[in-house]
Amino acid sequence: MIGPAGIRAALPHRYPMLLVDRILSAGADEIRSVKAVTLNEPWYGRLGAEPAEADFAYPDFLLLESWTQTAGLLATRSDEGSAAGRTMLFGSLRDVQFHRQVFPGDVLEHHVRLQRAVNDTLVLEGVSRAGDRPVLTIGSVTVAFRPQEQLDPEHAARNSAPLTGSRPGDTS
Amino acid sequence: MTTAVLARPETVREPAHDPGTGKWSARYSVAIGADEPVFAGHYPDFPILPGVCVLECVRTAAEDSVPPEAAGLRLAAVESGRFLAAVHPGDVLDIELVWEARDAGWRCSAKVATGRGPAASARLHYRREAAA
Repeated sequence: MIGPAGIRAALPHRYPMLLVDRILSAGADEIRSVKAVTLNEPWYGRLGAEPAEADFAYPDFLLLESWTQTAGLLATRSDEGSAAGRTMLFGSLRDVQFHRQVFPGDVLEHHVRLQRAVNDTLVLEGVSRAGDRPVLTIGSVTVAFRPQEQLDPEHAARNSAPLTGSRPGDTS
Repeated sequence: MTTAVLARPETVREPAHDPGTGKWSARYSVAIGADEPVFAGHYPDFPILPGVCVLECVRTAAEDSVPPEAAGLRLAAVESGRFLAAVHPGDVLDIELVWEARDAGWRCSAKVATGRGPAASARLHYRREAAA
């Protein structure tokens, strides 16, 4: 098991966007993590005086972010390219299904499997569950590691090359 | 709906129906301020709007005004999404939406651009809430 200190050391994300609490198990091409949702997360600090029950649903896309950070943790184990000066980027996704909403008190378990790795780009799939109920299934997500200077807006204005190009088998 | 992004979409063009194709199209803009809370942690000293937050902006724009036949549906899936360029504090997202009936639900296709060019594309799928 890897705790918050190990997670924080492996990912560049910080509060309020570090959305993985614990790694349960990690291998070369598979990882399981835990994310606990609490009422004290900053997103709930903006609710009005009398929020409805539905307003406490955790933002769906932050569930996806939490899963993807878990994918990033797998990537940092298999890719030395995640070292200093390089940033993980979300390249593309396909067939991501939201099955149910998650509320404070729910504990999510993410499961990520590596489909394939090409240079500094990884394709991953998996599922997130709350208890034994699936919350999210991910057909595929592509993440890439890029030098930070490539992301600078001045650089981006001069160089319009996309951050993620087409790859064999990627039909989107 | 609780969201990660503070900024809200502004309508540039209300959803309009094309009787020929049956599709609806609309256009929104979302001004991403430097005060978005997510920038503090994504990443410190190097703020980039997370890709999931770009998708969330597409969703809030899509759900701002849905075609009448798609009313009451819920987001069931992201069929596909692609991130083409980073979004930075101060960028204004230009979001073009096209709605079409598809697979017992509705698909909302989005193209997202900033002043520097294309930033993302996505296809969201909406359908009826499944029985609990």
